[in-house]
Amino acid sequence: MLGYLLRRVLATIPVMAIVALFVFSLLYLAPGDPAAVIAGDQASPEDVEKIRKSLGLDRPFLVRFTEWSLQVLSGDLGTSMFTGLPVTELIGQRIEPTLSLMVVTLTLAILVAVPIGVIAAWKAGSWLDRIVMALAVLGFSVPVFVVGYLLAYTLGVAWELLPVQGYTPISRGFWPWLENLILPAIALGFVYIALIARITRATMLEVLSQDYIRSARAKGLSERPVLFVHALKNAAVPIVTVIGIGVALLIGGAVVTESVFAIPGLGRLTIDAIVRRDYPMIQGIVLMFSFVYVLVNLAVDLIYVALDPRIRY
Amino acid sequence: MDRRAFLKTFASAGSLAAAGGFPAPALSQGAAKTLRFVPQANLANFDPVWGTQYVVRNASQLVWDTLYGLDSKLQPKRQMVESEESSSDGLTWTFKLRDGLKFHDGEKVLAKDVVASITRWTNRDSMGLMLKAIQKELTAVDDRTIKWVLAKPYPKITYALAKVGTPCCFIMPERLAKTDPFKQIDEYIGSGPMRFVRADWKPGAIAAFEKFKDYVPRNEPGEWWSGGKVMHFDRIEWVIMPDPATASAALQNGEIDWWETPIPDLVPVLKRNRNIKVDIADPLGNIGAFRLNHMHPPFNDVKARRAVQMALSQEDYMRAVVGSDTSLWKTIPSFFTPGTPLYSEAGGEPLKGKRDYDGAKKLLAEAGYSGLPVTCLVAQDQAPLKAMGEITADLLKKIGMTVDFVATDWGTVGQRRASKNQPGQGGWGMFHTWHAGADCVNPASHIAVRASGEKAWFGWPDSPEVEKEVAAWYEAKSLDEEKTIIARLNKAAMEHVVFIPTGFYYGYQAWRSNLEGISNGPLPWFWGVKKA
Repeated sequence: MLGYLLRRVLATIPVMAIVALFVFSLLYLAPGDPAAVIAGDQASPEDVEKIRKSLGLDRPFLVRFTEWSLQVLSGDLGTSMFTGLPVTELIGQRIEPTLSLMVVTLTLAILVAVPIGVIAAWKAGSWLDRIVMALAVLGFSVPVFVVGYLLAYTLGVAWELLPVQGYTPISRGFWPWLENLILPAIALGFVYIALIARITRATMLEVLSQDYIRSARAKGLSERPVLFVHALKNAAVPIVTVIGIGVALLIGGAVVTESVFAIPGLGRLTIDAIVRRDYPMIQGIVLMFSFVYVLVNLAVDLIYVALDPRIRY
Repeated sequence: MDRRAFLKTFASAGSLAAAGGFPAPALSQGAAKTLRFVPQANLANFDPVWGTQYVVRNASQLVWDTLYGLDSKLQPKRQMVESEESSSDGLTWTFKLRDGLKFHDGEKVLAKDVVASITRWTNRDSMGLMLKAIQKELTAVDDRTIKWVLAKPYPKITYALAKVGTPCCFIMPERLAKTDPFKQIDEYIGSGPMRFVRADWKPGAIAAFEKFKDYVPRNEPGEWWSGGKVMHFDRIEWVIMPDPATASAALQNGEIDWWETPIPDLVPVLKRNRNIKVDIADPLGNIGAFRLNHMHPPFNDVKARRAVQMALSQEDYMRAVVGSDTSLWKTIPSFFTPGTPLYSEAGGEPLKGKRDYDGAKKLLAEAGYSGLPVTCLVAQDQAPLKAMGEITADLLKKIGMTVDFVATDWGTVGQRRASKNQPGQGGWGMFHTWHAGADCVNPASHIAVRASGEKAWFGWPDSPEVEKEVAAWYEAKSLDEEKTIIARLNKAAMEHVVFIPTGFYYGYQAWRSNLEGISNGPLPWFWGVKKA
């Protein structure tokens, strides 16, 4: 197991190298000029050129890539072209809000989606099942920002129950922290709930038709342990896989959600960096997200072992 | 107790019980002493000489002071300067600083700081560059006296030091002002009424300013950038909200106090809310621009440029950009800001009256236009530019031109407009932008009207007649003389079609009704503003 873990961790190195090369090349080829954005609309073409030179953007691709790669290898993601602040510092400022949003969304999604998926499978074909599935289709179909605006208007502006924007660090108290995350988590979690609920229902339907479930019922077990102990545990592997895949969805969704609710997280940092062509910033964020995704996949693989004793690495 | 307060209390109690005792949130202490402001854009960098975006200037006015400041009549007034003296030949200027000026690190503001700051600024600003070209000597005579010796008179020297057009001449400590003007400073120490809280700065999220206790405002009442900058807040937070709907909701919810740039679509909602006040932000407004590439066909031929000019309907553009509320926009046959002393409509006839599509087609034929695509760079992420681009595509088709509509983002427009290549090889034919009215009050900051060929702003118009009038304006000694020159300049620029103004329009600002003292101006002025 330890050997497997080590191999997987080492395997992240070539993955990260490929991501780095890909992102750097893509940005090099993409149109847009950070120097023009920095200089502002009042600047003359000569000023823009001078700023471009001062940022080193006039140097060849290979020189810039080599320099950046060496920096990254020494643990330095570089400096933002716009703020002049280290990329690591800027990412560090934004990790807590995004992590909080993802944790609350994930918790909410699992707490809601798994039970309703189980119930839908249990009552397959009933009106309850149809309602759950209809909600799941709705969850897939309505974009995050639409749900976000609707929630902000009703629960924030009209009923004045919750704040519509911002983020409060958890160090300032649990409720102020949670208060700012409720609406964004519901908005972001909507599609995620739909996804997990559908997978849970489908997997549970398959498991519930197995012989050992019939045996469990035959020996007199009530429905709750049959569903949540015998069936759900055996249906868990695909559900965990989807939850893992969903982390990528969450990262993508966070970009939109953080904009709608003005949460100063990594999603907004990404958008700002792309709009301004802040190359070191974009490269740093993409590298970090790739790393996180590789780790999530590793975590999912390890959870398989805990859930299914037949799986061995 | 409102519903949110009730919910907060209820939930705090609940969470305390559930979580075993998390501290309850303290009510925002000193809320009356904190102003939460949503600026027009993200404060992504903070060097007003290196980066010339308006948002940087607007934040910088809190932190860095200026030698002079403009009042609402666009006249330069003393700010850091106590007195000035000009020799009878106008070649030697002596400025004396006010006593008691201090930087935020406690150091005194000295003449050497001013010399270094002016020197850095003169490397980046258009008026500064002119001053640098005629500068013989710029020295600190003593701790409070600066001497500036020029090779020829420059009557607008105090205006140059006071103007709001970017980059402004902000005064920094010498050690910062010695930074290469094309590199960013890494310390934010000024002598303005607020100090920048570097530790709280999260670019893209928040920037915070705290009252500088040692700041000594002038005794005159504050007016625009002049007079006493009296601050009534201990802290000002700039909350960055890229989404207008979120900012609107936050203002209605009382989560923010002041929103600099509400979009016209949301203004009716804000106006219906009795807790919110809405007004024109800047009486100097904005001028939309149709920028043509004078270097390549078809617009290298003045007849082709005039063809577009005679067919272009400013009303169409303004309705697309601002809407049907005609109090918010007007047509202007001028390159200059209406309502300001130098405004002139001389030579503006081609933009007046019924639009002449047949005449435009005829002119295009005379120019030898034979269907070459006009590459239109249209930024889709800037609502006014997107709207203008759509009108332009329709207009060009109506007069028989072929349109190569490049829908892109502003970052790409910023890069591509600098290309002098042929339109089909990475260059361009036209793009839209807008100019702040404050920059179009005279030729000093109005770089868009300049026509100095390769050295001119993007599009590179080349008209010795225009440049002659610009040079004459700099030397004008009276307002009447300036008016005469600007009339000639406007006419020459219209004839050459340096660019085509697409109309003049205002923007809104909105704030909670418990705020007092908010004024209209090209920048959000924070002095004099307080919470009732």
